[in-house]
Amino acid sequence: MKSKLLLIAVLLTAGKAIAQQKHTISGTIKSKAKGETLIGATVRVSGGGGTTTNEYGFYSITLTDGKHQLEYSSMGLQTNHLDFFLRKDTVINISLEDESVSLGAVTITGTSTKRSLSTPQMGLEKLTTKEMKNVPVLLGERDAIKVIQLLPGIKSAGDGNAGMYVRGGAADQNLILLDEAPVYNASHLLGFFSTFNSDAIKDIAVYKGGMPAQYGGRLSSVLDIKMNDGNNQDFGVSGGIGLISAKLNVEGPIQKDKSSFLITGRRTYADMFLKLSSDSSINNNTLYFYDINAKLNYELGEKDKLYLSGYFGKDKLGVGDLFGLQWGNTTATLRWNHIFNNKLFSNTSLIYSNYDYTISINSGSVNADIYSKIRDYNLKEELQWYPSSSHNIRFGINSIYHTITPGQVTTSETSQINARTLEDRYSWENALYLTDNWKVSDKLSATYGLRLSSFSILGKGDFFNIDKDGKIVDTLHYQSGDFVKTYLNLEPRLALSYKLNSTSSLKASYVRNTQNLHLISNSTTSSPTDKWVASTNIIKPEISDQYSIGYYKDLFGGDYELTVETYYKSLQNQIDYRDGANVNTVSNAIESELLFGKGRAYGIEWLFKKRVGKFSGWLSYTLSKTERQIDGINNNKWYNARQDRTHDIAIVAMYQVSKKWTLSANWIYYTGDAVTYPSGKYQIDGQTVYYFTGRNTYRMPDYHRLDLGATLQLKKRKRWSSELAFSLYNAYGRENAYTITFEDSKEDPNKTVAKQTALFKFIPSISYNFKF
Amino acid sequence: MRNSFIYTILGAALLLGTACEKEIDLNLNGNDNKLVIDAVLTDIKGDCVVKLSRTKDFSADNSFVGVSGAKVQIYHNGDTTLLTETATGVYVAPELSGSSGNTYGLLVTLDGERYTATSYMPSKVPMDSLSIVEEDLFGDMTKVANVSFRDPAGETNYYRFQQYIRGTKVKRYYVRNDDLTNGNDINARLYILGEDDDDHEYDINSGDEITVEMLNIDAAVYKYFYSLSSSATGENESATPANPVSNISGNAVGYFSAQTVERKTIKVP
Repeated sequence: MKSKLLLIAVLLTAGKAIAQQKHTISGTIKSKAKGETLIGATVRVSGGGGTTTNEYGFYSITLTDGKHQLEYSSMGLQTNHLDFFLRKDTVINISLEDESVSLGAVTITGTSTKRSLSTPQMGLEKLTTKEMKNVPVLLGERDAIKVIQLLPGIKSAGDGNAGMYVRGGAADQNLILLDEAPVYNASHLLGFFSTFNSDAIKDIAVYKGGMPAQYGGRLSSVLDIKMNDGNNQDFGVSGGIGLISAKLNVEGPIQKDKSSFLITGRRTYADMFLKLSSDSSINNNTLYFYDINAKLNYELGEKDKLYLSGYFGKDKLGVGDLFGLQWGNTTATLRWNHIFNNKLFSNTSLIYSNYDYTISINSGSVNADIYSKIRDYNLKEELQWYPSSSHNIRFGINSIYHTITPGQVTTSETSQINARTLEDRYSWENALYLTDNWKVSDKLSATYGLRLSSFSILGKGDFFNIDKDGKIVDTLHYQSGDFVKTYLNLEPRLALSYKLNSTSSLKASYVRNTQNLHLISNSTTSSPTDKWVASTNIIKPEISDQYSIGYYKDLFGGDYELTVETYYKSLQNQIDYRDGANVNTVSNAIESELLFGKGRAYGIEWLFKKRVGKFSGWLSYTLSKTERQIDGINNNKWYNARQDRTHDIAIVAMYQVSKKWTLSANWIYYTGDAVTYPSGKYQIDGQTVYYFTGRNTYRMPDYHRLDLGATLQLKKRKRWSSELAFSLYNAYGRENAYTITFEDSKEDPNKTVAKQTALFKFIPSISYNFKF
Repeated sequence: MRNSFIYTILGAALLLGTACEKEIDLNLNGNDNKLVIDAVLTDIKGDCVVKLSRTKDFSADNSFVGVSGAKVQIYHNGDTTLLTETATGVYVAPELSGSSGNTYGLLVTLDGERYTATSYMPSKVPMDSLSIVEEDLFGDMTKVANVSFRDPAGETNYYRFQQYIRGTKVKRYYVRNDDLTNGNDINARLYILGEDDDDHEYDINSGDEITVEMLNIDAAVYKYFYSLSSSATGENESATPANPVSNISGNAVGYFSAQTVERKTIKVP
């Protein structure tokens, strides 16, 4: 199949090449100020045609010989025009100036920020640094992930929850990549912050649908985050001090123009406030995180470049000496870019990724540590081939070796707990993909591709057969090197775009995704101790088929954008828990606590956005439904998934009052999550027990919140600039429910009451950021 | 463990001066009026009691409203004992006791419907001692009841404890198995977590009388109380709030346990 597609592409391009003499322009587009390569920068050719840079700033375009005017542009940078007479293959490297260099003289035009209506990619959301910078956030800590959750179809799991729900998917169905390395837990401090330090981020893209074939392994979304390379022009330091955290960023050239480094670190000091408390139940506690991003890039020659990037983060939480929990991610990525020729670009990546946590219990006679981890070794090779101006082909392989340590219990000698190690689980995930971006005509473009994925469960280890009640009926023993089971899946991907006129287009896509790593959570809220479990002989790969259609319209010369997308997703092999499941199980097969079935999700998303000008922002609204049908739950009928929310609204507004002041506000509203409440009660052994009639049949109270922010640019000196950022989270003090519990009333034990706990009312904050 | 985690989040939020609790009204309905069976047989005469009631609306009071007129039988190897109703919905057999190693059956017949269950009375693990220890719990020195016993290595054991402080039964479920503690000397501490600071009902002070009952239960009853304590006590933090996994067949909720019991009482020093 693949070779045929490739052949068709070759024939198509060859056919054209005979007609006229053609040559290729290739090169790299960078920002002038920092020397950072630009992702997705646009090259437009007068008289039609164009291309965009890949994730390393490389572009290649093949044109007929003769005179051309080339226009190079990228968001937030000045557009560059170039007249050029093409007669042989040529390398043109371009550096684009910052818009701010001539701010005041030039009114911001908008040509550079205009979105492309003709790319087939849909369901893609991108953030600009301006949006990231100005949207008010909790405790003033800028957070790209929190801003993304204000876009349609992407939902926050709620206060104090780390997860994110995309188009009805569960929190574990998002592929989160940091410089290609999967991040298994993207939260700090119980979800109040994400693991991504906005200062170190160059580009952030979320795919809600129509994922290109180079991505795979999760059902709902891809969050692709790329770190800055570091300034290769000048040495620079920037940083910030806020109420609960401080950060510092250092970058600079190793060789000017050629290589650079970047180190960014953050540390929160919330626990220092804990010390201020006179209450001994609080001042003994620990609660902080730190993280470090580092990157190094080195040009080996004109055609070769090396990148080494890494992330290390750790959270620590402790209740006196009684209880401790620490968790963290480590990732490392080594990449080698090689330009074979002006039409063929190659990238090889070696990736390491690790997530682990340790729980320590030290109460009287019980002393134990519980350790768990997931670790990946990952190799990727991708070739990008630009055979003609109408085709852009990617071909790649990916191989990942996963090791999961579900739980190791270690104890002190005097402890009454016995040490135990659950068997490590090994698996090998492979993928082969091909995708072509084909400009069929001026109006019609297509991205089509195919991903072949395989997942092999490897020994050594014991696997189980279970009966319909979850009882183990048979234990199968495997030795090291044995293949327990291999799942093969073919994932077709197709996206089409049809340009109706110069300001509007229609897009459609179909994508199949599969997922072999599943997150088993021991509670209704997400926690760092949720377990990653690989597919087994019983847990089958989750499969999703998503169909979507979208309409895109630019209004008022492109200053305003309207996007409407609708989707339908059908899901197979979805996982939910048996009634009364014990997912903390440390001895039995986890499968005996689970049930499997199918799911469906559908919805419509509106986004109305004003991108440019003094006043900018957006309005997003999602109407959606997500359900499961699993035998053994709610009498085998369809029921609402936990993350089902009917309405979801976000309004984001930013206003630049003057050169000094920027104001911002956002308001969000959503229908409460589907939740299980008791329908009645009874007495067992003299205590009240609650009676349940179905799963997720009730709703949490509706959630809404207003946040306000303001940024004050302080006086600029030669190289020194600084600002003060103020924010007020939950400005009108809405008490949004974090949990709802049921208990006998304290005042009248003969009555039962429902009690809601909210985490936040108003939270004001101030932080100071500087740069030199 | 899970609870301390939640408390820490809440603690952190409280510290920021932001967390707030309030009672809310929810429209909860449809209790199905199901039969509730709360049935116990122990190795001590006089302990055997079966209580029948029905599920109630959430907004109803917590009083026990018994179901009369049922035929309640406990059987073992062809011996059947008919229980007598001494109060509305309370059925007893004062002379009946069980012994370890036997399986007992329960048959409840009501309005033509039959409800059945069986339970195995496991071997009795002796309680070595009951003591009071002082422990630093979230910054406060707290007196905690401590039960010492030796878990037998050769078998899987399931335990349940009931605690009485100054004669009042503590409304907590204490269940454990020996999954991670098989064959060890165990100090089981009966913590009372989740109480408000101004709530002193369960404070243990010098001079108080503390009674603890140690029960040996079978696997199904353990599963019942484990799933009850993790998913039906109203603390909405488990994977799936749900009805506990019952060992009763028929359209009823509740459990039947054949269990051994040992009581010890001490005066807090």
